[in-house]
Formats: sequence, structure tokens, C-alpha cells
Amino acid sequence: MDKQIKISKKICMLGTFGVGKTSLVRRFVYDKFDEKYLSTIGVQISQKQLPPMKNSSAGRTERLNLILWDLAQIEKFNNVIKNYFRGSQGAIIVFDVTRLKTFKETDVLLKSYLEMNPKSKLVFVGNKTDLVKSSELDLEQFLRLSESYQTSYFLTSAKTGKNVGQLFTHIGKLLLEAD
Amino acid sequence: MANFFEQIFKEKKLAYAIFDHDLILSERSRNFAQTIQSSSIDPRSPIWDIFPELIGSEDQVYEVLYNRQKKYELEKINKYSESGKLHYYQLTLLNLKDTSYVPKLLCVVADTTAETSLEQAIRQQKYEIELLQASLSSYGQYSSNSILGESKRIQEVREIVGKIARIRNTTVLLQGESGTGKNLIARAIHQTSMLPKTPFVEINCASIPSTLLESEIFGYEKGAFTNALMSKKGLLEEADGGTLFLDEIGELSLSLQAKFLTFLETKTFRRLGSTHEKSVNIRVIAATNKDLKEAVGNNEFRQDLFFRIDVVTLKLPPLRELENDVIIIANHFIHLFAYDFRKKVKGLTNNAKSKLLNYSWPGNVRELRNVIERAVIFAEGDKIDANDIILTEEKGIDEPSHRFTLPDNGLSLFEIEKNLLLDALAKANGNQSRAARLLGLTLDTFRYRIKKYHLNL
Repeated sequence: MDKQIKISKKICMLGTFGVGKTSLVRRFVYDKFDEKYLSTIGVQISQKQLPPMKNSSAGRTERLNLILWDLAQIEKFNNVIKNYFRGSQGAIIVFDVTRLKTFKETDVLLKSYLEMNPKSKLVFVGNKTDLVKSSELDLEQFLRLSESYQTSYFLTSAKTGKNVGQLFTHIGKLLLEAD
Repeated sequence: MANFFEQIFKEKKLAYAIFDHDLILSERSRNFAQTIQSSSIDPRSPIWDIFPELIGSEDQVYEVLYNRQKKYELEKINKYSESGKLHYYQLTLLNLKDTSYVPKLLCVVADTTAETSLEQAIRQQKYEIELLQASLSSYGQYSSNSILGESKRIQEVREIVGKIARIRNTTVLLQGESGTGKNLIARAIHQTSMLPKTPFVEINCASIPSTLLESEIFGYEKGAFTNALMSKKGLLEEADGGTLFLDEIGELSLSLQAKFLTFLETKTFRRLGSTHEKSVNIRVIAATNKDLKEAVGNNEFRQDLFFRIDVVTLKLPPLRELENDVIIIANHFIHLFAYDFRKKVKGLTNNAKSKLLNYSWPGNVRELRNVIERAVIFAEGDKIDANDIILTEEKGIDEPSHRFTLPDNGLSLFEIEKNLLLDALAKANGNQSRAARLLGLTLDTFRYRIKKYHLNL
């Protein structure tokens, strides 16, 4: 019988305030959504195990436990933040598709993150797609970002659950492939 | 002595745990589990199970354990209690020196809920205000952005939408061929003129039988008709404070037209089966692909209603008149479908562009969307080629209506071709690209023929 290995990986949720980082984690881990906005201070850590995945390069089945670090809006990069970023193997960078400003605000933060974790896997996420019609989405920004960082992007709605599971499964696969 | 320390720890809202050199829990204060909001802790748990927040920081943990690093701290860790209350704590790792010389790790947990909650409340207020400001300032931005294109015609449409948006109560009539985006423009007008979260209610008058349409629009009271088991609000009430978009208004029956006219003039109405008058504050946007003037002439549409809704009329141009906008809109759809289908298609080859520009687009943007959707599905490389683009009218090119029959006494092909070139130029107001498209030619071929016939323009 195929041997199953349990592996834990730390993933940081990055993005400016109010983009829905906490809601995405909450939807993924507990399948819940809260309309009321509650700003995060510090870090909220959640875990969820993905279904077993075949790692073809390692020739075994692996159970990946995602340790999700839902970080507050980072206003100043200091040692506290360094400790939050430390050892992260993946980052989900979240934007609000209804607030174009959120794209610009993440640039410096992402650079600091990558300085500490240069090999980290990245995925860009446009959240709150339930608030705009698909024809109104400006995908240029995502295309530019995903091309410059050679990664993919997802359009999600934590409210409806659209693409949330796919997003976390995708980053899980990227992490396993990188091992 | 131990009790004394326990007491001090409790008073200072601190708790501790000691882990052995294998990082297995060996000792803890009585309030430890409660401080980290854990219902039960296995007495021999590894540190990673108790503090998953240390996963990823293994190097730092061992550095502290072996006393190569003084301490390691994590601040403002959020934890929910079983009752759902949010708590915050700070975790500090220290090397514990004792007489055995076997390294141990001391974890001190400080409950910082009181001070961090205060910080949270201040930030919450600040962010809520910023979010509200952002939502107010960006409201409608997406809708006007959604009118894609740079052609003069589209710029005019955007300008008119902006002007209409400033006057909230005017009735607007949108006219245009099927697929020109009347629904999108109606939403853009709504979103640029109304406050966030005001209702946008739409109905396609052609999609519901006339008998049902009346109750849909005006609502009804319990017992108004056989199946009216309870009262129901109509669309007028649903749209109160916002916009009612009546698509294909030309399909309204004459009796319903009369009733709707009364509503437009008085802003009041009665539900079916009610004697009580209700009033609502809504903007009506009507749309049609029919020539309503002609419908008035044919007694299919009431003249008084036509005059009432023809206050501000916006004529939406067909896609074939939007020049290079076809490519801009096509690229937008490519991005959308490439994302949906997870394909790496990014754009169009020159041949594909030329094919799109030379087509007449009878189904307008709706048809373009479908063509691009199919093309993205079948595209092999990162660009859509002309072969990936299947146009509906290509199939119908041999249909009798497109056939030209040679008169019995013959004709001069030279003269016909020359006249067609001149006609096309006249219809396109001298714009050679548009004229070329009208004839299904590329611009180069068109120019070559102009030169061939010595047409001095």
C-alpha cells in the first residue's frame, strides 16, 4: 500500500486591510462567512489538512497540512513582522477587485516578504468578485503581476466560496512540487 | 514557593510551559491551557502541536534551546476561546539553564487581550472609515470602466452616460441593435448615479407573457386572482430608491403601456386587487432594439408613452461602427476566458485581428464574446489565430440573399467594383478602414483597388 506522509507548510496571507484575507481563511477552514468586518491585529493562525495528493517526483502520497498565517495590515516592517514572515514557504497575496488602490499598496510588502523568503511560492488573488460583474473586472493588473512573478492568479469570493478551495489546493500543489 | 510563582504569574496574566531537549512538554503552570485558549493539552505533547505558530521557525526554536539565541518572540497571536471571544497573547521562548546541563526551553505566554483589544478597536474604526470612503469614491468607477473602447462613438456614449448620471430622476431610453450592451449601459447609469446598495431591478418585457407581466411590475394583493394566495410586491416597489430597467419595452401590450404611462406621470400605482395607492421614487431606464417611432406609426406603441420615455435617448452604436474597439473588446474577453479556462492565451495574431476587423458583427458584442470564447477554447498557442475564429456569417455566405445574379444583358464588372468602392467610402464618411470593412476587404487590398481605379480621394 502507498505510504502517506504528513507534511506541514506555513503560508502567509498578505494584503492591505479589508481585502478579505481573514474571510478567505475562514471560508476555507470553517466554510463560514461573516458579513461584519473585523480588522485583524497581529496574526491569526489556522490549520487545515488537504486531501492526500500524489507527489509524482517523490513517488508517494502526501497529506499536506496548511498552516495559514492570516496577517494584519502591515504598517511598518520591523522585527515583529520578520518573525511573522520567517519560514514561510508560500504566500497568498490578496487584493480587493473593487479597490484598485489595493494593488499598489502591496508592492513594498511583497518585496520585503520575498527578501526573507526568496524561494517562496506565490499566488495572487482578486477577492470580492461577487461585488462586480465578470465583464467589469480589470484583469490587466493580474496579468501583469502574474507574468512578472511567473505565477498564477485566482478570482475569488469568500462570500460565495467561489474558487476558494481551488486556491488553497493550488498553492498546496505548488508547495509539494517544490519539495 | 511554586504556589507563590503561580500566583504572581496569574496576577500578571502570564503562563509558562517547559519543554525538554526533545521539545516535548514536561511542565506547565496551572493557567497555561486557559491562557492559550486550549481546552485540553496532552501532558507529553510536542511543542509544534501546542504552538503551530512555531512551524516554519524551527531554526529559531533550536537556536534558543541551545542558547545560541537569547530569545524568540511572537506578538499579538489571535486565539478564539470556546465561547467565541477573541484573545491575544504574546509568546516568548527562552533557554532554561538548570543544574542538569540538559537544554530546556521555557515558553512564557502573556495574555495581552486588554491592550491589544483597545488597539484593535482604534484600528477597526480607522479602517471602517477608509473602507467606506473607498466604496463611495470608487462606486460606479467599474461601471464606467466597463464601457470598453476608445473610438469616438464610445467616448460619446461615456460622456452621455456621465451627463445622464448627474440627473437622477430622468427617464432614459436606450436604443440599439441586439447585443450592443444596453443592459451594461443601464447598469453603468445606475451605478454612476445612485448610492451604493440601491436596487437595480431589471425585467425583459419580451420574456414574460403579458398577463403575468402586469402582476410582476405592479405586484398584487392576496386574492387578486385565483392563484394569488398571498400579497406580493411588484418590481416597482422592489426598485424603490433605485432603478427599474425595462428591456424590450416595445413588447409591452397596449393596455400595459397605458398603465405604465400613468405610473410614469404620477409616480403612483396600485397593486392588482388593491384600492390603495402607493408611491415610489425610482428612475426608469427603458431599452429597445425596435424603431419605436415606426411602432407608433403602426399603432403598436402609444405615442404618449413614446414622448414620455423619449426624454433622454441614447443610441448605442453597433460593433461594426466601432473601428479598432473590436480588438480592445476582444482582448478583454480573451483575458476573461483565458482565466476561466486556465489557458495561456494572451492576444490575437495580426491575421486574427484583421479577420475580426473585417467582419460585420450582426450579433454585436454578444456575438464577439461567443466567438472569442470558442476561439480561446480551441487556441493552441498563446495567441488566437485567424483559423481559431469561426464567424457565423461565414456559414451563410452562399445563402440566396447574398448571391448576385448576372443580368441577361451582362454588366461591366469594372464599373460595379468602382461604384462599390465609392459607395463604401461615402457610407463610411471617407474612413478607408471602415469602408474596407464594409466590403469585407483588408485596408491594403482596399487601397490597392482605389489606386487601380485611379479614384483620387
